[in-house]
Amino acid sequence: MVSMSEGAEKKESEILFELIRERYGGRLSADELEEVRKAVDVIAENAEALRRVGLENWDEPSSVFRPFRGRR
Amino acid sequence: MMEGPDPLFMPVRELGRLIRAGELQPIELAEFFLKRLEEIGPKFNAVITVTRRLALRQARRAQREIEAGEYRGPLHGVPYGVKDLISTRGVPTSWGAAPFRDRVLDLDATVVKRLEEAGAVLCAKLAMIELAGGMGYRQPNASFTGPPRNPWDPGTWTGGSSSGSGAAVAAGLIPFAIGSETWGSILSPSNNCGVSGLRPTYGRVSRRGAMALSWTLDKLGPLCQTADDCGLVLEAIAGPDPSDPTTIQEPWKYDEMTTRRRFRLGVLRGAADDADGEVKANFEEALRSLRKVARVEEVEFPDLPYEAMTRTILNAEAASAFEGFVEDGLSHGLTAPEDHFGPYSRTVVLARDYLRALRLRTAVCREVDEAMRPFDALVAPTSKRPATPIDVEFRKVAPGATKDVMGAVGNGAGLPSISVPDGFTKRGLPTGIQFMGRAYDENLILAAARRYQSVTDWHTRHPKV
Repeated sequence: MVSMSEGAEKKESEILFELIRERYGGRLSADELEEVRKAVDVIAENAEALRRVGLENWDEPSSVFRPFRGRR
Repeated sequence: MMEGPDPLFMPVRELGRLIRAGELQPIELAEFFLKRLEEIGPKFNAVITVTRRLALRQARRAQREIEAGEYRGPLHGVPYGVKDLISTRGVPTSWGAAPFRDRVLDLDATVVKRLEEAGAVLCAKLAMIELAGGMGYRQPNASFTGPPRNPWDPGTWTGGSSSGSGAAVAAGLIPFAIGSETWGSILSPSNNCGVSGLRPTYGRVSRRGAMALSWTLDKLGPLCQTADDCGLVLEAIAGPDPSDPTTIQEPWKYDEMTTRRRFRLGVLRGAADDADGEVKANFEEALRSLRKVARVEEVEFPDLPYEAMTRTILNAEAASAFEGFVEDGLSHGLTAPEDHFGPYSRTVVLARDYLRALRLRTAVCREVDEAMRPFDALVAPTSKRPATPIDVEFRKVAPGATKDVMGAVGNGAGLPSISVPDGFTKRGLPTGIQFMGRAYDENLILAAARRYQSVTDWHTRHPKV
């Protein structure tokens, strides 16, 4: 189980938002940036909910990789 | 007016029977629905492109073949439409988005090819929410063709994102339509428009040639007048496709036999608790009808973050699928203002959280299947609210409706579900009940929905358009 304190979760959310502002801030108005900030908070909340569930080392992702070999 | 039987609102099965018997002619039928699409379609913003020339070519061919005794099956000569995220060679495929409104892809999607092989007649590319709602829209006015209006009350919304597919079937502009669902996009318009809509098991229908929003969540499926029609259409479009490696390798055959055994239905504890009063009342009445033909018991899912899981997968995959679109700033050309900035937040989903969601999904699939094992299907209100006003942000009208455990589980675990109408509100808006099955159990949920439709008549009611 991986879980963060509320403060750490908020800080992560702020860092992620700053990354967006750095990359795309020039395209977005102040109001739009505020909406993006709220959406990043929700993404961080979702991540935190996932991190509260315990997973074992051998719990694999649902996607299965299959090697490809073309015809000769 | 056509001579002979009136095809308006006629189920596909009946149309097929009359076409085979020579009582309806494919060309005359295509003309009938093309006229409705052209004349009535704009009233509901339901249509993007009417494929008149293609439809008449396919109808002439169908008529020739049937007259020559080369009958292909129940869809032969039957008109249909597809959501405009499904590619059709030589016809624009816009994904409902202004930046792509005139784009023509040089590809027929596998579903289009399969329906052509079944002899069906493609009459229209149908309206949809831009990019299947993948940019985070909050209002009906999120398509360059205008807000999709509900045939039961044009002042209300069709639901989305297969909006035109729902409206066109409900208004009798087309006998059946193909829609897509990543999370709610077949069931929501089926609910709001009072039609029968089937979300198949993930991988049942090839997505080759369909817009990708989320590779591990996207499904294509039919919207029809009846559950039985959904089975007929699914049989035509289902099956393995070498060009879509996610397709289930076994062919699928519709089992249309009527079973007389009692069904075993589960009701997810609390699934209707925060529903609108009339939605809840109609659902409870539906349960009373179902208890005549089924054992109904409450069921509970293990406490897991289903919505966080499915939302994280959707956000991460959509961010990747539309990476170039967003980087190029094209989202700013979309119709809904919130779709301009909506995609930026998804660019910061961490890889470890996406992988965590995929790892949790493995466990969720097992846990949910175990919980569903005693049942043929789980039933729940399809949507917790009836259609919302056309000019209002739907999350403001129905904040509770954003909690959707059935949708998160069903789409996250790739489970099939069918929505059929279960009543009306006092204002005359339809409400729906969904039957969600275990993976690969389309035949069971279709049988349960058919049985429900055999003891109710909601699906036989149509809006005055």
